[in-house]
Amino acid sequence: MFGIYQIPFQIDASGITVMVDREGALSTYQRTSPWGTVRKMLGFRDGRAVINPVEPVNLPQEVTGMLEFHFMPVAVRPESLISLYLKFPVEIGVFSGAADNYTLIDVFSLARPKYSLYGTPEKGVITRHVECEVYESVPLTHPLEEGVLFLSIKNASRDWVWVSRVVFETSSLRLFYADMVAMSGEMEIFSRLVAETRILGTPPVEGMKQTLRVYPTKKSLIPEKTSYLMEYGVGDRDGV
Amino acid sequence: MAFEYLKTEIFGTVTLLDLIVFGVAVLATLVISKIAGIYLKKSLSDRVEPTELEKLIKAIQVAIIIVGVYLALPSFDINVADMLVVGGTIGLVIAFASQRIVSNFGSGLFLIAERPIKPGDNINIGEVSGMVEEIRVLSTIIKTHEGIYVRIPNEKVFTSDITNYVANVARRFEYTIGISYQSDAGTAIRIIKSLLDEHPFVLRHPAPSVFVDTLADSSVNLRVFIWAPSRVWWSVRTEMLWAIKKALEDAGIRLPFPQRVITFAPGTGVALTGRAGQEGECDGRS
Repeated sequence: MFGIYQIPFQIDASGITVMVDREGALSTYQRTSPWGTVRKMLGFRDGRAVINPVEPVNLPQEVTGMLEFHFMPVAVRPESLISLYLKFPVEIGVFSGAADNYTLIDVFSLARPKYSLYGTPEKGVITRHVECEVYESVPLTHPLEEGVLFLSIKNASRDWVWVSRVVFETSSLRLFYADMVAMSGEMEIFSRLVAETRILGTPPVEGMKQTLRVYPTKKSLIPEKTSYLMEYGVGDRDGV
Repeated sequence: MAFEYLKTEIFGTVTLLDLIVFGVAVLATLVISKIAGIYLKKSLSDRVEPTELEKLIKAIQVAIIIVGVYLALPSFDINVADMLVVGGTIGLVIAFASQRIVSNFGSGLFLIAERPIKPGDNINIGEVSGMVEEIRVLSTIIKTHEGIYVRIPNEKVFTSDITNYVANVARRFEYTIGISYQSDAGTAIRIIKSLLDEHPFVLRHPAPSVFVDTLADSSVNLRVFIWAPSRVWWSVRTEMLWAIKKALEDAGIRLPFPQRVITFAPGTGVALTGRAGQEGECDGRS
């Protein structure tokens, strides 16, 4: 399903149908998925549409730009580096326009979203919550449903640390796709309470294609944040 | 000379021409600030939050006006340093003469600095509830939930108890749901927890909580505590209550009306028929 399509087109996959039909000088966009049908009018009849995975923080409506992974606690030795693989739900965006000036037409997903709070209600952040397994090698996924986070965790502290959550800022999130959807992230732990996370701009596997992102369509003047400082712990609240 | 009267001194060394030049300069400044505001609104409205944009535009407009007035002052041939001294003295006099205004002004500055409320917040100040429309220098404008315009002097805002419903990123709300004594509370709790688990904006952490709270006169009362993002808590609250009611009824769990069991003493001559106390339950069919 992911790719570039010339209008008019229709694409069907995994119970999802996306189509753009010409109607006189205009065209009609229609998407049917298990969660319902969306129909929109487009003020043009020619051009192309791009369908690709997007930052998974848009559904059912945008309330945050933070993405939190919560997984089985992993013990990390002092001053060591480990690599993990985590699955995350994919949201699919449909865009129109050129690469430097495009707009979001629709976003949908086969996954059910869930949100959470990282930190306190006063100073914490709302996060898109992803409950996931930990894999030691790249897991098999269905690209329309799940992607893979290639996560490297560096424990820069002198203590053992149990890690069971990692929170990313998604304004600078870069997703890549080929036969799977993937992104790379890193986490540097300074203590059991504090860690710095960032999403890398490079594809985790060579040859993957970078996706169009939703964030630039907001035309926000607020600069993209490249890293996030986790200040409310890297493990579960009730300890390990 | 035709325009000689323009050089007539009106007060001190200030001539009518000076006044006109000053007036035109200030007017031009106002026009420029207005145009700058419109231009900024056109070009930045997509990129900056409306409330932040309003602040930015106002700050730029005030800066333009201050610069304009400063540039226009030489037409009076006034020494700015002298004027500051004079202005300070006049300011003190005005402050004593209009304490309320100064108090409101000071409170406004503290409100802007402390930021207990900001435009767009749902708040309660004294007896006024609604959304903050604007925080001005002397007053705060509230749009009540009924859409009514309310202006509160900043002094009153500053000295009142302020409840800001959306200052924190998440907030908790609760329901009390009464089920009949014949229904299984364990099943009801399981159904409610499953519904909460499915809703995207019922936060995973802090986790929702459902428990038997009281054995009341007519029902077993369950309490449901839910945390939701402050931006969407109201829609979650309204959605979930009806969803819980429907799901419980679909599972055959009854939500009873208030009821009372009346037992007549033997030998009072009143015939007892039926079983009082089990009538009048809302089973969704009647």
